[in-house]
Amino acid sequence: MKALDNLSFNVYPGEILGLVGESGAGKSMTGLAILGLIEAPLSISRGKIIFNRQRIEQNANAVRGSKISMIFQDPLVSLNPLRTIGEQLVETIRTHIKFGRKEAIEYAKSLLEEVGIEQERFDAYPHTFSGGMRQRVVIALALAPKPSLVIADEPTTALDVSVQAQILELLKKLCRERETSIILITHDMGVIAETTDRVAVLYSGTLAEIGRTVEVLNNPQHPYTKGLIEATPRIDANSLNSKLYQIPGVMPDLKEIPVGCPFHKRCPQYIKKCVEIKPPLLNERAACWLLDTENGIL
Amino acid sequence: MSFLLVNQLSRIFDLSEPWILRKIKGQQKKLLKAVDKVNFSIERGQTYALVGESGSGKSTIAMMVAGLIKPSSGFITIDGYNFFSPTIENNIKSSLRKSVQMIFQSPYASLNPRWRVGDVLKEPIKAFNLIESENGQKRRVCELLEQVGLSERDINKFPHEFSGGQRQRICIARSLASEPKLIICDEPTSALDVSVQAQVLNLLKDLQKQFSLTYLFISHDLAVVSTMANRIGVLKQGILVEEASPNKLFEKPEHDYTKMLLTAAPDIKNVSKIP
Repeated sequence: MKALDNLSFNVYPGEILGLVGESGAGKSMTGLAILGLIEAPLSISRGKIIFNRQRIEQNANAVRGSKISMIFQDPLVSLNPLRTIGEQLVETIRTHIKFGRKEAIEYAKSLLEEVGIEQERFDAYPHTFSGGMRQRVVIALALAPKPSLVIADEPTTALDVSVQAQILELLKKLCRERETSIILITHDMGVIAETTDRVAVLYSGTLAEIGRTVEVLNNPQHPYTKGLIEATPRIDANSLNSKLYQIPGVMPDLKEIPVGCPFHKRCPQYIKKCVEIKPPLLNERAACWLLDTENGIL
Repeated sequence: MSFLLVNQLSRIFDLSEPWILRKIKGQQKKLLKAVDKVNFSIERGQTYALVGESGSGKSTIAMMVAGLIKPSSGFITIDGYNFFSPTIENNIKSSLRKSVQMIFQSPYASLNPRWRVGDVLKEPIKAFNLIESENGQKRRVCELLEQVGLSERDINKFPHEFSGGQRQRICIARSLASEPKLIICDEPTSALDVSVQAQVLNLLKDLQKQFSLTYLFISHDLAVVSTMANRIGVLKQGILVEEASPNKLFEKPEHDYTKMLLTAAPDIKNVSKIP
């Protein structure tokens, strides 16, 4: 079974790359693979992950947590309920940076300040924080070792909209100020639109489309991206009387990914070639045979 | 007269410690006003949406409308009958139960994993004594499956054999089994993917037309609400702070909280803001 198939993309310094797709598309798997957290029976069978000119797909220990860190969906699960947030921060800092206790405490307090938590909360336990504040603590933990890449896996899915907006704003600010790159994994096209510089659309473990967010959302090239955008409800008083566009069917199970383009069974525009051969990424933008104008398919 | 009328509805939860501990520690009673004097009404065949963040009292109102918890004060009438009135007759009470049904947020949690789809759909038919004969029940189940876009062949399958969207269709079919007039949809698509969400929302719209259903639609997602509701009520900490038609609410929101919700909601239209 292939969870990810021939997936290639770059992340540039200081940018926010969005990974978007429906559940089962391989978004989280991509994040875990970069961190070397793929465990048996799964394995990386082919391909390279290059970070700062070094290959890390077999030995991610050197960078995990220090150079690349991760923010998970549920902040309550990622914090230890029995230890104060101060202790947890200091532990993380001293694991990755050679700091004495005092220095570490100083640094931890400055981190809390940076993510918008008062220093007095240093000795508080996670359960005394609200969901949004907990996620801020988790962000402080992720930033502690001064990573150059942060993978945020659905960081705001468990939060209310107003808190979500604050957390996304915080991530954007940190990305600008620290020049940290962020891979933002989400299923929400609205979050993609408001937060990311570039976006990669995943479908059944393959890259359907990649490009600058403005271009992809305003002028999608892959029929799946088009469908996703059309199907997303908008805040619009006139949408009441019209129906939402719906992509027919569901994403295929990993065991039943069809030959050819994985999307062709749901695609309104598929041609004969789509059924037979899997399209590569064309024009450095979308994996769709419809873009293949050179060979005179259209 | 409106089909559903909610009048000065309040619900207070008692969160205080047991009496004896309160006396020892010298504490007062701790009361939480989950819903505070809420008024709204829905006309037959219309959709009313309640929006608000977690803890705003949306689901508490839904539970009271469904007759699952008792209001602390105020009343609700459905088709002119008050479910919690002390003088209500038993046969009216049971017909009210039949005419109000609910669809829950997670189709993974709201279907018994050990029941076949046929049994899930037969349960309301049996519970309300709607159809006596075994064959008749089966015919009705097939009819229900077809109405929500599933097929007769699915009758012997278990819930785990379906995707999230299909499971939500089963839940919708179950809620339709007793031919209800009012369906309470409590975040019916928040556990679903975008493309599946569109399918389920469209299905709900079709069914509303077909059976002239009235919906009480609960959601935190203003974009979803804008595609479904004729009227929208905004809840904040148990208080209905603003109520308006979608036109007015989205063009000219009055309350600060509504404005905040509208600016905070991530919207795909906002892509042009990025430099």
